[in-house]
This record gives sequence, C-alpha cells and structure tokens, in this order.
Amino acid sequence: MSLPQRYLKIVAELAASGALGAVVLLGATPPAVANTEPAAAQPNAAAREPVGERLAAIRAAVSAAARSETTSDMGVPDRLRLAWGNWHNGGWGGGWGVGIGGPWGNFGFGLPWNNWNNWRNGWHNWRNFWHNW
Amino acid sequence: MPRIQLVVVQPTPFCNIDCRYCYLPDRGNKAVVADATLANLFSEVFQSGWAADGLTIVWHAGEPLVLPIDFYRRAFALIDRLKPPELILAHAFQTNGTLIDDAWCRFFQEQRVGVGVSIDGPRRLHDLNRVTRGGRGTFDKTLAGIRALRRNNVPFHVISVLSAESLAAPREMFEFYRAEGIEQVCFNVEESEGGHVSRAFAQAGIADSYYRFLREFWRLAAAAPGAFSFIREIDEATRLVVRPEEAVYFNQMVEPFAILSMDWSGNVATFSPELLGLKNAEYGDFIIGNVNRDRLLDMADRPALHRMLADIGAGVELCRQGCQYFSVCGGGEPVNKLSENGCFASAETTYCRMTKMRATDLVLDLLDEIGERLDPAAPDRAAARPQPSQHALATGGGG
Repeated sequence: MSLPQRYLKIVAELAASGALGAVVLLGATPPAVANTEPAAAQPNAAAREPVGERLAAIRAAVSAAARSETTSDMGVPDRLRLAWGNWHNGGWGGGWGVGIGGPWGNFGFGLPWNNWNNWRNGWHNWRNFWHNW
Repeated sequence: MPRIQLVVVQPTPFCNIDCRYCYLPDRGNKAVVADATLANLFSEVFQSGWAADGLTIVWHAGEPLVLPIDFYRRAFALIDRLKPPELILAHAFQTNGTLIDDAWCRFFQEQRVGVGVSIDGPRRLHDLNRVTRGGRGTFDKTLAGIRALRRNNVPFHVISVLSAESLAAPREMFEFYRAEGIEQVCFNVEESEGGHVSRAFAQAGIADSYYRFLREFWRLAAAAPGAFSFIREIDEATRLVVRPEEAVYFNQMVEPFAILSMDWSGNVATFSPELLGLKNAEYGDFIIGNVNRDRLLDMADRPALHRMLADIGAGVELCRQGCQYFSVCGGGEPVNKLSENGCFASAETTYCRMTKMRATDLVLDLLDEIGERLDPAAPDRAAARPQPSQHALATGGGG
C-alpha cells in the first residue's frame, strides 16, 4: 500500500472521531509492540519511511479529504468523505486557514491566552516564548 | 509589509523570585516603564499599519504583578485610546502566580486578561528550581494564586518547565494537575538560553525522555476524558502533522516584526523575544531601536536588523535543505541556535530535537499504530516494524 493510501485510511479513522476525539484516539493508542511499556517507549518514526515523506503524505491525505466534501475524489474512502464535516467543522477552529499570515500562521505558537473567548475558535493563541519561565 | 502579531512588553525587569533556570540578566532591577514610553510604542505600532488583527500584548519578562493594578488600568486605557477602533487586541500576563489575590482576579475578569501561571508541578518538582532569593521554594504561594483564580472563575493555563526530574514523572505531573483542577497545560523544557546552561540538555537521551514523558502523559489524559481542555504540546503536534497541504506553516520567530519586544526603557527587538536583554556585539545586543528616539518604520532599515535577518535566513535555509521536520518547524528558533550552536546560521539544536522532532515522531508513531490496527497484515509495515531491542535512539532530522 502506498504512503498516501495508508494515510487516507488512517485519516479516515481519525476524522470519524472529530478533531478533539482524534487527539483522544491517538493518545489511547496502545503501543504496536505489545511488550513495549510506556516508560520504555522509544520513537519509532525514524525507523520507517523518511519523516518528510510521511508528513507530506499525511498532508496530501488531509487535503484529499477536504476536497472530497465538494468533489467525487475517487481516492477518498466513503467513510472519510462522510466523516470530514465532523472534523473540518469541529474543533479545529472552523477551518484550517491558508497561507502566510492566515490564521494557520498563528497555530504553531498556540497558547490559550484568549481564555475568555472560546480560544479554540479564535486562533489568536500565542505560546509563551520565554521558555525557562 | 510586516505584520505585528505579538507585542511583548516588559513593564519592569524586576522579579520577586529567583528561579534557578532563569536567563533574564537584570531581574533585580526595579525600574518601571514610563507612561510616555508605552505611548510611544503603541503610537508607533498603530500608526505603522503593521498591527495584525487579533494582536496580543503580553506583559512579561520580569514579574508583571509586582506593579500595582492601577498601573495596568492606566496602561490599558492609554492603549485603548491610541488603537484604531476596528483593531481587536487582547492583553495577557505571564506570571509566577505568587502575588495573585482576589483583587487581581477582579481585574483579570474586568479586563478579560489572558492569564498564564508558571508552576512546575507538585511541590517536590516545583521547588527544585522556582525559589526565592533566599532559596526557599515558592510552591505554596504559587498554588495559592492558582486557587484564587479558580475560586474567582478566572480561566488560566499553566506553563511547566520540565526538568530532568519531572521528565521522569509524567504520572506525578498528571495527578497534580488533576488534583488542582488545572485543565490547560503547556510544557516548556529547561533549555540553554542566555547565561543559563541547561542541566537537562546535558543528559544523554534527553530527547527520548521527552518523547516518553509526552507519550505517557497523553495516554493518561486520553484515559481521563474531560480532565484537560488543552495540552499545548500534544494539540500543537497533532495539528501540525495532521493538516492539509494548503496550510502553510508560518514561523514567527524568523519573521521580522511578527513579534515585537520592548524592554522597560523603550529598547525594541524582534525575532525570539528572549534576545532582548542579551549581550552581543555583532548584532548590537539585538536592539533595533528605541521608541523614545526612533520611528518603527526606520527600524526596518537598521544594519543590525539586516545582519540578523541575513544570518537567521541562512539558518532557516540550512533547516529547509537538511531537516526532515522542516514542514512542522519552519526553521527553528534563533535564540536556541545562537545559545546552543553559537550562531544563527545553523540548523539542529537539542531544543528542536526535543520539542519539534520527538513530538512529531510521537504523532507519527501513533498514526502508524492506528494504521497497523486497521491493516495488521500489511507486509510493508510488518517488515519495518521495529522490535524493542532494535530501537535505535533517534538522533534527529536529516535523512
């Protein structure tokens, strides 16, 4: 199975949970290697395909999912097509934001400074840059 | 045109406590920013046309609550008078929490201030580093501040600096937050910055300890639905990895003026806020101007800024060319490159290995583990699946 196909299936699984559910689903994932205790877990990511390829494949899968809302993209599983609205309109801030200067730009430094205003919809979230504080 | 998204204002460099890992060089200085300096800063910011909607003003870099509430009432009113009516902005404090009382809580509510409290976990871990000038732990006072916030229904998040000790104690951290009703959590790592050399960074395998901490904390949080509404490192890593192609990552740390930092005397810096206050002959102490003398528009032409921009840009390019994680990082943080590698024009740091690479690895691993559950017989993954004894400790980007 190609990387994009693999991640389409995985993204479909996540999307079915909605954005917030996806974070819970990921966290609840038991280690693939049964005898790996959490305290002994080591990163596996470097042991597989190059990380850059995997990240690009995931983004391609998410974009395909987004397109599937308005098109009949044959590469997108039906389950993902159905679930996407739940994900896309759910907890991710009412949309992804595109491009430099868009709301996505703020994401990488998210701190819920704006605690008063349902920050998840605001994207005005800033991290604390002063690290040792 | 630059877009100012964050203004960090140092109302005073003074801090009432003396954390062992603090890099701020001047935290015994009780100077206070003048009203005229604040007026000059915000006049320049608003008149430049560079202020982005949703601008956040963070009062920080010294303990902001050592100044009286009336200082902030005056400052907020001044900023409100100067700002364009259509511009939306928010104020935020990052505080050690020791001075929070009911009066501060009323002010936070009245002004809808974002509040971040620094607490490093339970007493045993917090008091390792967060101490008074006499060396006494500050846990009790910080926790009293947090309880005042909760009693007054003021929303807040906490930032916990992870030491080598706390990295080994994810369950203890988790149980502390739950017991105290802390629902929004951010983790910073104890890093090398300015004059501080990280004890944690000196430990072998520290990046993998971070991975294990985050994984276990995530597992515990997932098993306690509703306990946390925000775990910054987990939410960020997930959203950075699981995003569409169109969502371009924007690294504020390397964009001039995206972050504007001003010290109490009016000196202005950009890029990583921690740069302000550090000494450096090559870049003029990272100061690009002073609002009491200079126009913001003129600061864009300062030679020091151009030297920094060229070197930071070269560092970003090294990351772009050589790091597999560039799409979730955007070229790292200049202050960490300078502190760890000795120059901006460099790439990987221990800081980015921990906070970017290992956090990304964790999300990728969990995604793949879901994939294996969905399709357990897939030969391509079965062959690639590492066994515990074969785990090579990841060393970072590249490849």
